[in-house]
Amino acid sequence: MKCILNTGRTVPQGAYVEHKGSDAYRSVASAGFLNPVDMMMLGIEDGDRIRVTTPAGHIVLTARPAEGVARDEIFVAIGPYANHVISSETHGTGMPDFKSQSADVEPTKEPLKSVGELMEALGGLHYDRT
Amino acid sequence: MTELWVKNACVIDPIRGINGEIMDIAIRDGRIVESVSDRADVIDAQRCLTLPGGIDSHTHVSGTKVNFGRYMSPEDMRAGRTKRKGKMHVTSGYYVPTTFGNSYRYSAMGYTTLLEGAMAPLEARHTHEEFTATPHQDMMANTLFDGNWAVMDAVREKDIRKTAAVVAWTLKAARGYGIKLTNPGGTEAWGFGEDLTGIHEMVPHFAVTPAEIITTMIRANELLKLPHSVHLHCNNLGKPGNYQTTLETFDIVPDLNPARQTLYATHVQFHAYGGGTWKNISSKAEEITRSVNIKPQIVMDMGQIMFGRTMTMTADGPMEFNLHCLHHNKWSNHDVELETGSGIIPVTYSKKSAVNCIMWAIGLELALLTKNPYQCLLETDNPNGAPFVKYPEIIGLLMSKRYRDEECATLATGVEQRTSLFALERELDWHDIAVMTRAGQAKALGIVNQGKGHLGIGAEADIAIYPIRTDSVDPAREYRKVVEGFQKTRYTIKRGRVVSREGEIIVDGANATFWVDAKVPEDLKMENDPEFIKRFEQFYTVRMSNYPVQDVYLPRGRRIETEVFT
Amino acid sequence: MIEHDVVCPFCGCLCDDLELETEEGKIVKVQNGCALAESTFMNDVRLPAPIRRTETGWEDISYTEAIKETAEILQGADRPLLYGWSSTHVEAQSIGVHIAELIGAVIDNTSTVCHGPSILAIQEVGHPGCTLGQVKNRADVIIYWGCNPVEAHPRHMSRYTTYATGFFVPNAQLERTVIVVDTRRTDTAGIADEFVQIEHGGDYAVLSALRAIVRGKTSVIPAKIAGVSKEQLIRIVEICKTAKFGAIFFGLGLTMSRGKYKNIRNAIELTDELNRHTKFVISPLRGHGNVYGSNEVFTWMTGYPFAVDFARGIAFYNPGETTAVDILRRGECDAALIVASDPGANFPRDAAAHLAKIPTVIIDPHVNATTALSRIHIPCTAAGIDAAGTAYRMDGVPIRLKKVIDRGYMDDAEILKKIYDHLNGGKGP
Repeated sequence: MKCILNTGRTVPQGAYVEHKGSDAYRSVASAGFLNPVDMMMLGIEDGDRIRVTTPAGHIVLTARPAEGVARDEIFVAIGPYANHVISSETHGTGMPDFKSQSADVEPTKEPLKSVGELMEALGGLHYDRT
Repeated sequence: MTELWVKNACVIDPIRGINGEIMDIAIRDGRIVESVSDRADVIDAQRCLTLPGGIDSHTHVSGTKVNFGRYMSPEDMRAGRTKRKGKMHVTSGYYVPTTFGNSYRYSAMGYTTLLEGAMAPLEARHTHEEFTATPHQDMMANTLFDGNWAVMDAVREKDIRKTAAVVAWTLKAARGYGIKLTNPGGTEAWGFGEDLTGIHEMVPHFAVTPAEIITTMIRANELLKLPHSVHLHCNNLGKPGNYQTTLETFDIVPDLNPARQTLYATHVQFHAYGGGTWKNISSKAEEITRSVNIKPQIVMDMGQIMFGRTMTMTADGPMEFNLHCLHHNKWSNHDVELETGSGIIPVTYSKKSAVNCIMWAIGLELALLTKNPYQCLLETDNPNGAPFVKYPEIIGLLMSKRYRDEECATLATGVEQRTSLFALERELDWHDIAVMTRAGQAKALGIVNQGKGHLGIGAEADIAIYPIRTDSVDPAREYRKVVEGFQKTRYTIKRGRVVSREGEIIVDGANATFWVDAKVPEDLKMENDPEFIKRFEQFYTVRMSNYPVQDVYLPRGRRIETEVFT
Repeated sequence: MIEHDVVCPFCGCLCDDLELETEEGKIVKVQNGCALAESTFMNDVRLPAPIRRTETGWEDISYTEAIKETAEILQGADRPLLYGWSSTHVEAQSIGVHIAELIGAVIDNTSTVCHGPSILAIQEVGHPGCTLGQVKNRADVIIYWGCNPVEAHPRHMSRYTTYATGFFVPNAQLERTVIVVDTRRTDTAGIADEFVQIEHGGDYAVLSALRAIVRGKTSVIPAKIAGVSKEQLIRIVEICKTAKFGAIFFGLGLTMSRGKYKNIRNAIELTDELNRHTKFVISPLRGHGNVYGSNEVFTWMTGYPFAVDFARGIAFYNPGETTAVDILRRGECDAALIVASDPGANFPRDAAAHLAKIPTVIIDPHVNATTALSRIHIPCTAAGIDAAGTAYRMDGVPIRLKKVIDRGYMDDAEILKKIYDHLNGGKGP
């Protein structure tokens, strides 16, 4: 499904923002909110995994239904999951397209990555001793 | 112990009655003393003009509004930028420079003390943070009370003692220096997009008039024995015909203090307009100065404008919006809850505009028509009329009829008939200029006994040595030399240390901030007044305990304590 | 022990009425705060000591070593980037600017990926605003546009707008009309008297239509604009024009979507237009607790609110070029110092990935996504929890953050000062 990737702040994302290694953070930052009609069209249920692909890359998220999300839109809390597929082009403004990245959403069986794994994919090394 | 010996100085020190004497000045540990040892560093002033450090008694250099002027103006930041060099930090900006830019450029001109013209108490911390980044001048802040709800309540109750108590509490909380009223009552009306048009009009919802606010605050100010008088930006700024409001205001000012004025009227140029529209605007400087010349209780500053680009910024929010509707450039506005307003717009004063030319003429007329230079101080309401770096040109204009004539010849047509400037022959002398740029300010601000504005024994050793030989320069003819001379001191000495030499800053600064701790009787203390506390907690958006500025914000705070009144 | 009137440092609301209960140097209870405040104070897990990445893992190092190595990294870099600053106090921010000036670095703060476009718009047309108390005491019309305060600024409505009792608005809930404009039907939209649902990327067009209607040019408006009916637009203009005091708050829905700063410019010009009929103000909802402070400090020290490049010796500003994401995207910087923020999580992947390619040092109380991308992580105090200092609320009101407890960490201002001293041959700023 072709759609617009929209991102924004949420209370749980904010509450766990200083605990990025936690399961709780992973669960809020990796949720992809879709209009229930779109979920039906994709043939997926609450909690199923989806693969979101953009020119910048792809990411696996957990699909969640949300009435407030428009058709052909996917909403993800700001954070490393959404950013994994957002282009760093700023069109000369300094600001990437955090709310208007075009994306392709499809069902998948691939596993969800942790924040640490995402950072390691970028060349980092996860620190897990706290 | 550090000692400095300035010899062969041609001193003009009006407060001590010294006018052009060649003398030596001895300095020890930041103060002027009788004599120093032979180990003292020596500066040979070579008979150059030597004055007490310059004092600006009304300038906008620090705080919320000034910083917003910078924030919204990258074009101005690009208009004046210097690299890091020696002790000097990077600077940006021409008409609203960065704090270091302000500090260095004032210092190069021999200025050592500045009064920030407008600080909203709620945002006082910001002003003080910028003061610490303006290191080469001692600072003080006029504190805004024009739309203060607690003040207006006390004024309505005709309670001078209560008014004084609110002022004392707020000054202490804001670490402010004196009372500033900007378009009194008008800034509150602007809270709902309205303005006032005269001093006897009621402030909506508060049932007081500007006249009542002004007179009650004057009496409260004197009851508190504050060093400075009430500092007033009159109502109706910048409107054709507003001189009548200004005269009416002057007429209600009593003469209550033998040591200084009872009212400081700021940037009077903007308040001296005749006519009724922009088409027939004219100068009423003669009427204004006629009033001031017979009222020793009033001191004003010029509010001179100079041609070119600058930024207007004032607590007078409604005025800025009106100006915005004329200029159609960018406009910022920032009203402050329970206290005041503010507005900012960039402007260009052009010689092609007859209105601008008349404004330019009025400022000069005010200075030339005021008999006593202590009653008309040299200022541009920086940066409203012009950035302060234009002061030397203003000095040149005041000292030279020829310079004025040359400038007048370039103005728009139709200006001559609407001002008296073209006919004024007066040329101010060095002593007048010394009064209008330091002695007068020190007296008006009430800081002479803090050792400011003079070079007597015990005074703070703030000294400006200009590359001007008064015995060999004829300012009437050689006004260019005068202008250049005042642009860059040979030495600027701050508290006994050379801070600037030939325009270059050579040390890290360490300024002081003066503030007034006004004492009130125990039963009048607002921190114990349940009604005051209740209203505060209900209507402000910060808790009362988080409102006062902590001492940590004034690393070199100089507290001036007043005697408690009875 | 109970601490009264504590300031929450989390978001730009800087609520200063929290009550914290401490026991033996630990915070055990938070009252008056929202969920974000509660989490900020109660779940404050810190990195215990400085760490350095090795070939195979992480090792603990001393502060002295960490600071020295950081200084050497910065000293050795040709084009260092200093980024972050929004979750710490003004004291640390100003030392950061001094470091940037000293070594000719680029310094940028998080507004670059937040309200940077708002700043660009303000630099074009200005900003008619006010302190939040003006809104609380006077506003009878509140507009939330492209923002979701219920989630991002949970107490904004109860302290400053919708539900706050004001002097001229004693019955807040009855007397205030709330309009919410968004592409999503958010929880904030749920409490609106009017909800305007715009199609993606339609903000600019809707703002233009509103301006036209305010100017009396209703006839040029088609029946529907970006999914919004003409009738609703006319109704909204009527509400605005008959307001006694209207306040627009906007968020990243305007700054990040198509048009970016042009959207904000249009919204400001709508506000300007409305001021010719009644009183109207507009303000960005600033995210991080002290992001506005970083704009203020950068401005009074350098002249520009963000994206300042000292490479030429002067302060140079060119958003799109000197902004952090662009510097990283181009692979331009060869070292990075990150303070009080998490670009690893908040920057697009290419930009974040460059941090792992260069020596990156992060100074932050918490382990975050950037930790993994860094060579060194130096923990420090958290402003407002175990360090005092100034923060600027979203409306410019400066508030002093309190030190509530002592956890034995070094203040980031002190760490930065030591780094500065190293770089400056032992002399302070």
